[in-house]
This record gives sequence, structure tokens and C-alpha cells, in this order.
Amino acid sequence: MSVYMDLNIIAISDKKRLQNIIETAAHLGYSTVAINYVVEPQQKKQQIPKPLSASELCEKLPIVQGKSRPIKVLNRLTVVATEASHFRPSSEYKNFDILAVYPKTEKLFHAACMTYDVDIISIATTEKQPFYCKRSPVNGAIERGVFFEISYTAAIRDSTMKKYTIANAINLVDVCKGKNVILTSGVENPLELRGPYDIANLGLVFGLSEGDAKAAVSTNCRSVILHGETRMTALGIIHMMMKKKKSQPPIEQPEEETPAVKRAKTETL
Amino acid sequence: MVRLKARYLLCEVCVSDSSSLQLLEERGIYQAVRAAVVKAHGEYGAARFSIGSSVAYVNAYTGVVMLRFRKVHYQLLWSALPFITSIWSQGKKVQCFFNCIHVGGTIRTCQKFLVRYGRQQLCRMLPHCKTEAEKQEVRRAVLSCSLQKFNVDDEGDDDEGSEEEET
Repeated sequence: MSVYMDLNIIAISDKKRLQNIIETAAHLGYSTVAINYVVEPQQKKQQIPKPLSASELCEKLPIVQGKSRPIKVLNRLTVVATEASHFRPSSEYKNFDILAVYPKTEKLFHAACMTYDVDIISIATTEKQPFYCKRSPVNGAIERGVFFEISYTAAIRDSTMKKYTIANAINLVDVCKGKNVILTSGVENPLELRGPYDIANLGLVFGLSEGDAKAAVSTNCRSVILHGETRMTALGIIHMMMKKKKSQPPIEQPEEETPAVKRAKTETL
Repeated sequence: MVRLKARYLLCEVCVSDSSSLQLLEERGIYQAVRAAVVKAHGEYGAARFSIGSSVAYVNAYTGVVMLRFRKVHYQLLWSALPFITSIWSQGKKVQCFFNCIHVGGTIRTCQKFLVRYGRQQLCRMLPHCKTEAEKQEVRRAVLSCSLQKFNVDDEGDDDEGSEEEET
């Protein structure tokens, strides 16, 4: 039995509703969720928000369906980039477990695939993608271990959005041949969330094969989280942290090596 | 003889307010699924849906619904299910979504799964109990979940439902 994850839950100011969404996600069998903070730098004076820790969000995290562990809550930052200056690696990015970028132009898409230090590249779901995903940057991104994200909530809300989402997704999947794709929700309302099996099946509509579609909600998400960890540590091998005791100087603490990313077991649903 | 193979989708209807689950009925669900399939796959989908699709079982207490599709096209029809956002039943619109919990080849395997699943739900419910009497009641229900009384299984299912209502 694999572990399902949903790496896109929009951070809304209504704490009660956010808790409700997390509870629903646990009930549906997601064992990891990421709270997504969206930043649009083209609007003036938008600060990068400070992420809430999981304990601040709710005192007692709900238990995952079919498991005995509580749900894991991560933080994610999405930068909507329309100009090259919008994405600057700064220390504020370090507070987040996962870093995503949503490029609006072809040039930025190319840069995001080839050079930016991110984990996820978002694909437009509410409008027609204004450019084609070319094969060379996509292959570069796959080689670097960057993943492409398709979120499905827009498709559920509105039928026009559904057309755009499916068109953009098929466009992407054709180019990347089903590799390095993750399916996420992007919910703001608990009733928009869908179960992992349904989403894996929905992947078939987007042109993914059965194995790829299942990987898109399970193993690929795991790879994203591990990629995020390597960004914060030195390639996931060495991690520096301050010890709480003042008497001792901070020492290097070797973290256990991250295990090799496992590929999805391709089995029929 | 070759039999026509079917796939049974065991779905859970999730609503925000559990009292509206009582409104669930077979016809409303059938029509909601058909409308979703028509919207997602057009006339082709409607034609596929019209052969051998039915609602096999509805439990209005737990919100568990079993849908029956032909094996050849169940994935096509299943891909329309995430787009259901509401069901019309008994003249009321219920905001809900379908969550598929199991896909089985026979009703029997689905039943076995459902008993196991219902038991899991009871176990999840136990920490949320407030009074000791409720706890005892849930514990008794957990112990009574088995396929031993295979012939009176419907009764057992209803039992689970009433437990869930209490908490």
C-alpha cells in the first residue's frame, strides 16, 4: 500500500476551514499535505508570508485513514513569476519545505526548468497556457529532478477551466511522456477535495498511463519532498543545525543519507 | 458460458453535514452519475453508461454507495465521478463529493471489504467518544463486526450506521 500525498492546499486566513480541510484530507487517506502560500510579486508590496508550523495550526493532528500515524503538514511557497526579477533566492525561502514557481512566459519557463533552484513548476489551469512546453527545457527539468504540477480544483469548479486544465495537462504529458508529473488539489473548500484513487483515475483523462497516474499522487510527491530536503541541506548528506545548549558550540550533525528515490511500482489500480 | 464481467465501485458520499446523508436515495445518485458522465464524455459516454450501469447498494446511514459498471469501460465512467459536486434527492440539493474506497469484481469481495472498512471507522471513532457509555457501545460494535453471520449481514451494516450517527 502506498502513501498518498497532496502537496497543494491553499493557505486561507480562515483557520477553522483550514483545519477542516486537513481533517478531510486525513479521512480520505492522504498522509502528507502541504499548505501552499502564493506570492505574486508583480503586485506591489507583497511580503513573503511567514509559514505557520503544524502545531500552531491545530493542536491535535488527525489520524490518517488506514494508518496509525497522524497526518504530516508541510509548508510550500509558490512564486508567480511574470518577470525574471520576481524569483530571487532569498533567506525567506528557507522557511518553506517545498518551493514552487509558476512561470507566466516562455522565457521564464525555460529558466525555471534549467536554472532555478525549485522543486515544482506549476502549469496553468485557469487559462490557456500562452506558450508551448518545448522538449529541451522539459527534459532538462526531468534530469534535474524538478516536477511539474497539475492541480485539479479549477476543473471541478468550472467547465471552461476544465477544458483549459485538460488541454494544458495533455500538452505537458505529451512532451514529458508521463514522467515527473504530480497531481495536486489546490483546494480552498473541504468539499473540493477528492480521494487519491479518484485522482489517480483522473490522471488517465490527462493522458497518463495507469502506473504514471498512480505515481503522480504517491511516489513522485515523495521525490518532491526529498528534493526539497536536499535544497535545504548540502545535497541531503550534511545538515547544519544549532544546538539548544549554549555551552557547546554548534557542531555539524551528519543526517542520515536520504534513501534513493524509489520508482513507482506499476500495478493496476 | 461466458459471463459478463462487471466492476463494482464502492464509494463514500462525503457531505459537510452528516444529517443530510439521510436524504440519499438510489434514483438521485443514478441521475447525478449519469449527468456527470454526459457532461464529461458527451453522447459517447451516455451510450456507454446506458449499458449495464446501475446503483447496486445505498446505505443512507454511512453514506456508502456501490455502483456497478461494465468492466470494459469502468475507467471511462469512473473518471467522471470526481466532477460530481451535488446530488438532487427528495427535492433538495445536497452538496457532496464521491470518494472511491474500493474497486471489486464481485459483490462478495466488496462486502468483505465494507465490513473491514466499517470496523476501521468504528476504531477511528473510539478516541472521539466523550462518555464511557458511548465507548462501551462502540467497543461492542467493533467486536460484532464479522462475516460470521453472513446471512444477516444487512442487519450488521445497519448497526454500524446507527453507531456512527450517535457520535
